[in-house]
Amino acid sequence: MASDGNFQPTLRLHSLSWVFGLSNAIKQMVLPLIALLFFNVRDDTPGPFGPWIVPAIVAFVAIRAVWVQLTFRYGFSPTGLVVREGMIFLNTRYIEYARIENIDTERRLLHRLLGVAEVRVQTSTGGKPEALISVLDLAAVQDMRDRVFSEARPAEQTVAAPAEDTLLHLGIGELVRHGLIDNRGMILVVAAFGVLHEAGVFVINEELFDRVLHSPSAAGLAALGLVMQIGLGILTILGAIVAVRILSVILAIVTFYDFRLTHVAGDLRVRYGLFTRVALTLRTRRIQAVHQNESLLHRWFKRVSLNVDLAGDSGVGEGSGDSSRNKTRWLAPVCPADAAPELIAAALPMLDLSAEPNWQPLAPGARGRIFRKALLWSVLILTAPAIWYLHAGAIVIVLGCIPLAWMHAHLYVKNTRWALARDAVLFRCGWLNRRLSIVPRNRVQTLSIEATPFDRRSRMASIYVDTAGASAMTAGIRIRYLGADVAQRLAAALYRTAGVTA
Amino acid sequence: MTPLQLSHVDSAVIGVWRWQAAIATFIVAVPTFAFGPSIPWLWPLAPALVILCGGFLTWWWPALSYRHLRFGVDETGIAIERGVIWRSRIALPRVRIQHTDVSQGPLERRYDIGTLKMYTAGSRHTMIELPGLRHEDAIALRDALLAEGAGSGV
Repeated sequence: MASDGNFQPTLRLHSLSWVFGLSNAIKQMVLPLIALLFFNVRDDTPGPFGPWIVPAIVAFVAIRAVWVQLTFRYGFSPTGLVVREGMIFLNTRYIEYARIENIDTERRLLHRLLGVAEVRVQTSTGGKPEALISVLDLAAVQDMRDRVFSEARPAEQTVAAPAEDTLLHLGIGELVRHGLIDNRGMILVVAAFGVLHEAGVFVINEELFDRVLHSPSAAGLAALGLVMQIGLGILTILGAIVAVRILSVILAIVTFYDFRLTHVAGDLRVRYGLFTRVALTLRTRRIQAVHQNESLLHRWFKRVSLNVDLAGDSGVGEGSGDSSRNKTRWLAPVCPADAAPELIAAALPMLDLSAEPNWQPLAPGARGRIFRKALLWSVLILTAPAIWYLHAGAIVIVLGCIPLAWMHAHLYVKNTRWALARDAVLFRCGWLNRRLSIVPRNRVQTLSIEATPFDRRSRMASIYVDTAGASAMTAGIRIRYLGADVAQRLAAALYRTAGVTA
Repeated sequence: MTPLQLSHVDSAVIGVWRWQAAIATFIVAVPTFAFGPSIPWLWPLAPALVILCGGFLTWWWPALSYRHLRFGVDETGIAIERGVIWRSRIALPRVRIQHTDVSQGPLERRYDIGTLKMYTAGSRHTMIELPGLRHEDAIALRDALLAEGAGSGV
């Protein structure tokens, strides 16, 4: 770095960058802005600038976006990428070529119309030293890729572009299945409902209500008779379900259109999106764990979904506009169940997954504990509402919990297994929603054994195998209801190999 | 992990925790005694409860948690055992330590105690704390852990 001390970056952003800076900023404060506009139009709580407050804010943000664009410089010094931001508060970032892992791009509809891309320079550390360059035109991105990667790996790799072989391509048929399984449309509907509710759409207008009740169509409905009314009700509900599923399918197609997972020179590359085109490189040495998810619907369609934990995703996002860190890193949002092992092997090439792992059950007392816990919770939650609605009939509900809780405990224990292979630790759990997690042993960060008072009474413990990843909720493996001595031994074995780099 | 020798931290930390609990009790007790009399059904009960719990947390609890806080260092890394009711034992290989802090609050400074904080690239245990080491011991332990921890951390 010392030799590059005097290097001055000279390359500028694309001349329309401010548009994206502005739109990103507005997207982030769209709710407060709408609220402000709303209050000011209603005019009962005039703000300091009256109705001019919103245009003033937008103008300010636009000026700031132009300022950012005019002061932003990047350049290729002899040993690293240099990014300089600001004029008054000058911030110069220097990223060595050798440490740059990927140059990822994201192109939303507007980017694609203008032929530009948002560029993320990723390093292996994650967190701070990472640059978000918004926006460059495609030629500049290609130039950056060429310069950075030819500096990092001279000669052979730049001469011939490495061959790219497709591991998985999702056609429309698969995406339709994904939409049906995933049912993301439901979330959208609930969100829309929430927004409309907040906006006061559902305040019951008594006059309107009255008019509907006394309208000819309501009278006609009343005359239909009970069976027809029930039929109509069921039809309405079915229609709503179908509509939500169709929405999910559309959403799946828009998000994952032309999903393609390819294998390039040992790394995986993912591209997808109809309007927002995402191109990501998943470096196999950054992959910390692979999770396979299989819901009931997945099983009906004989499909699974695969995602990976990437190192560096847990860092603090660089720049406010970078939302990509919180997203699930899909290996395959949906894929045929029999294709999954091959994809897992591609994501974890250093593992030998050919042999069937030696699956181990949970502690012998686990079923009893899960049964008692499930029973206790369901009785606690259900008793009061059951008595309220059904009076004496509540006893049926409460008694009905017993076989259900037993079934849950039995199936959960039956389907939950862990295995310690030579180079990985595997865990599969759940019966309705089955999940398989594979963590290579040399990716383990920390191990913790936790024992609640209940655990100690029955000589059990849970073990948490921590890895780097996006969120504490999903990363790593957590095995509960292990025998205390088994957990100790597993932790000891993993602890010894955690630091060993393959 | 069994062959690892576990040892207690410095017992001066009990004093730090007692002061912390006493201050916290005081902060809760002041409004309870100030506003308690004006709420009839709360009056004799709430202050009594605050005094009882505060006394327990100030006098017995620090000694209890001291007894259950142990740590051990071996060539692979460090293990920390803690928790009176919810027990946990966390093992951290030294190559996984990204960076470390030794911090000292005003109370800790008075007792010459430091807290060793170890950061990892993990997702749940991103920061692992070992309180109650004598300040120079904490620094020595940090140096010992970092000396050979020349791994990539990921």
